[in-house]
Amino acid sequence: MLEVRNLTVRHGYLQAVTNVNLALAAGETVAIIGANGAGKSTLLRSIAGLHRPHAGDISFDGRPITRLASHARVRQGLVLVPEGRRLFPSLSVEENLRIGTTSGRPGSWDLRRVFHLFPWMEARRREPTVHLSGGEQQAVALGRALMANPRVLLLDELSLGLAPTMVRRIYGVLPELVRDGIGVLLVEQDVGQALRVADRFQCLLEGRTTLEGRPREATPAAVEAAYFGRSGRAGPPGAP
Amino acid sequence: MNWVNAVIQGVMLGGLYALFACGLSLLFGVVRVVNLAHGDFAVLAAYLALVVITATHVPALLTFVIVAPLFALFGYGVQRLIIQKSLEVSPLTTLLVTFGLSVVIQNALLVFASADSHSFDVGRLTSASLRVTPELSIAYVSLLIFFTAVIVLVGLQLFLSNTAMGRSIRAAADDQEAAAIAGVNTRHVFGVAAAIAFATVALAGLALGTYSSFDPSAGPPRLIYAFEAVIIGGVGSLWGTLVGGIILGVAQTVGGQIDPSGGVLAGHLVFLAVLALRPQGLIRARLAA
Repeated sequence: MLEVRNLTVRHGYLQAVTNVNLALAAGETVAIIGANGAGKSTLLRSIAGLHRPHAGDISFDGRPITRLASHARVRQGLVLVPEGRRLFPSLSVEENLRIGTTSGRPGSWDLRRVFHLFPWMEARRREPTVHLSGGEQQAVALGRALMANPRVLLLDELSLGLAPTMVRRIYGVLPELVRDGIGVLLVEQDVGQALRVADRFQCLLEGRTTLEGRPREATPAAVEAAYFGRSGRAGPPGAP
Repeated sequence: MNWVNAVIQGVMLGGLYALFACGLSLLFGVVRVVNLAHGDFAVLAAYLALVVITATHVPALLTFVIVAPLFALFGYGVQRLIIQKSLEVSPLTTLLVTFGLSVVIQNALLVFASADSHSFDVGRLTSASLRVTPELSIAYVSLLIFFTAVIVLVGLQLFLSNTAMGRSIRAAADDQEAAAIAGVNTRHVFGVAAAIAFATVALAGLALGTYSSFDPSAGPPRLIYAFEAVIIGGVGSLWGTLVGGIILGVAQTVGGQIDPSGGVLAGHLVFLAVLALRPQGLIRARLAA
């Protein structure tokens, strides 16, 4: 459904992503792992249309979307949950969710279903989001993306800064989304978390893919080597 | 009674300033552009109204029906074709571009309309006034402008708070990138915000021509007053804009009461005092929060 071919993204002189290939099918969960600065977020942001790639193609349903603006990608069902939540401080919880409907995509997701997924939200729908905890804000960010009725969700560092119980609760909703046929491409620094939920994973090191495969088939040593480069230091954080 | 009169006239004058300021405030609050041509666009709208009056013989007070929508379209075009382009280069470029627009508008008006000053003929309304007490009366024109300002600000607030487009405008003002990935076409939204700002600036230009007079160089002083109203009230707050306009207007009329030539100076001094003591403005709020 989503296909990335030979993608290269530069930030000025820095080449953040080099020749990355990636494919994601409906209902599949793929994790991008890698150390800080490996190019994971840049890859995800480029797929969402926030960085113009230097070379390579991105296609969705076989149609090229490399030159499409972010909001037009949302209209096709490609929706990013950005790192750091990025909620709108002047908007209430409900308004933040409703912004997700701007693209006008039809589908089963609406306020009711988001409130069903996160029951605490309904009572606090009128509150500004600054009053919410980090985990609650992350839930609103996820809800905002779901309101757009995505076919592919791009999740950037969902667990960042959250307590482990909150991380489990947020990731706990993924199976329902996958059952709906939503493809999930997630970026995680928490390798253990990423490998637990992913069907496949891809490890980036300095912008290049160093390892890809299925979590069950990858040995911790191979993941470690791909994560840090051949020299290998301590194990990756949270490795299985 | 003279003092009460000065304060009331000041409040009315504040309505005119608020009308000038709300478009400036909106454009700055949403698009983060300081439109240095704001006053000149108002004057341009007043000249456009003159053309409309000459061509169609509609009464001056009704020209807004034609001029405001035309200016909204014009504003959308200016935003998409000129301001957006310069915004993507750097914020400083937008200052240069709007300053350039200001110079071009003033000189183009000088060439095509001469330096004569004009005002709108509103017939009997010019001198008619509401007698509150035997010593206190308020001109209908002033009342009309004041209530126009209040209606525009209340309408804008309701629009921003209660419509999907208003929500998108506030979201894009908060975080342009986050709005884009939530599906908001931010360039279009900025265009709509500029359209609204230009419609209000057109109303301000018509109010100016009704309240006093205008000539090609009348824009920049209006820009200064609008700036002062926005800063006194608090950047990004529409209620603040109204309050700021009223404070500036009252300062000018009360100052004028103390010393007939000191009105404008008194306004500037109040502005400076607010800037020094409370630079965030009197009312601190996000856009229609």
